[in-house]
Amino acid sequence: MSDLSRTIEALLFLSPQPVPAADLARATEATEGQVAEAIELLREDLAEGKRGVVLREVSGGFALASDPGSEEAARRLLSKPRTPPLTQAQAETLAIVAYLQPVTRPEVARIRGVTSESAVQSLAERGLIEESGRSQFGAAIFKTSELFERLFGLSGMDQLPDPSRFDPSPEDERDLRERLLKAGEQRAEP
Amino acid sequence: MAIADLDLDLDLELFAGPFDLLMAVVLREEVSLLDLQLGEVVVAYVEHLEREGELELEVATEFLVLIAALLELKSRLMLPGPEEELDDLSPEEAIEELLARMLEYRRYSEASKLLSDRFESQRGYLYRSAPLPAELRRVAVDAATAVYDPDALGAALGDLLTEPPDVDISHIRPTVSLERRLRALRDVLRSRPSFDFDEEFGGEDRLTQAVTVFGLLELYRKGEITWEQDRSCGPIRVKKATPDAIHKGA
Repeated sequence: MSDLSRTIEALLFLSPQPVPAADLARATEATEGQVAEAIELLREDLAEGKRGVVLREVSGGFALASDPGSEEAARRLLSKPRTPPLTQAQAETLAIVAYLQPVTRPEVARIRGVTSESAVQSLAERGLIEESGRSQFGAAIFKTSELFERLFGLSGMDQLPDPSRFDPSPEDERDLRERLLKAGEQRAEP
Repeated sequence: MAIADLDLDLDLELFAGPFDLLMAVVLREEVSLLDLQLGEVVVAYVEHLEREGELELEVATEFLVLIAALLELKSRLMLPGPEEELDDLSPEEAIEELLARMLEYRRYSEASKLLSDRFESQRGYLYRSAPLPAELRRVAVDAATAVYDPDALGAALGDLLTEPPDVDISHIRPTVSLERRLRALRDVLRSRPSFDFDEEFGGEDRLTQAVTVFGLLELYRKGEITWEQDRSCGPIRVKKATPDAIHKGA
């Protein structure tokens, strides 16, 4: 491992936030090209399964994380239980915020068809979404947080898959329409 | 005069004739209020007013009330009632609308499954959550160690609190303007025809008094004043000049 790789490893060990490559270059007085090269060396060295920590590219920067294999022991050591998984309401709300951000709560409720106050509040409390101002009608506008990107292992929001890939196939859409029509006819019958 | 007497002939897209007839056909629903451009009626009335050159207040008021009532009626007609809205939507349209909403919801519902899976798969990675040790932080007042003696700061501030000595301005000569003294003399003469120089200007400094005397000479030369002095260095009595006195003085 090069001197620069070792220095970068030390900086990432010290930093509580993901560090962008430009910041690493400034701190080490190296070019971004040299930093990229050193990062590659470090990535090989800290590949999963090799050491206790792994190098991750999250939220627009680089960070060291503990290897998933040590999670249980780490939680016991730090007395830090796992947070509960996302509920369906939270996951749907988070998906809408992530794809449509910045977005207001009424817009979330319109798409989900139910009020989403508690889901929005829980996501804000978990630090996954945050307020980013007010709409012209005074409703709070939400966006995803830096923590969201880190916890979901995203190096940036462009890493989210294209939402159109979730759209149903034309056959599914036809099925759905037919089912709706049938349901409508049944209701119309006396 | 009432609105019936209003001689307002309309030539609208939908209707041509007097205004009162238009009102009658609208009320009998022979002309649809929805198709009638009320703006055109108002424009026609304003043009009529311009032509006539005078405003019959009673008629104008009645016209305004009528137009306002028609506008309100028309706006009510244009707004769909709640039941009407449902009736307007055919079963096919309703299904299409429902389908569009369901598809939109389904997109994010599917996306939410992906997010949930991703959340679970990433939960094993733990990041440093403790803040940096205090001594490594860029700004940390608590962790800062004293570098300077506080007494040095106190001494520096103390110097600022001492009042500096008065600046010597003895080298600056005071100036007295003749023009201003002339104005002062004329001001006094305007309020009374004669005055005692010492009484009026005795309180001034020597230079001002000297220039004022110079001013007296100037006024004397212009024939505006005369003065009397009984003895050398005695009191000077200044008098406003009358044409007679000027003659005498000259």
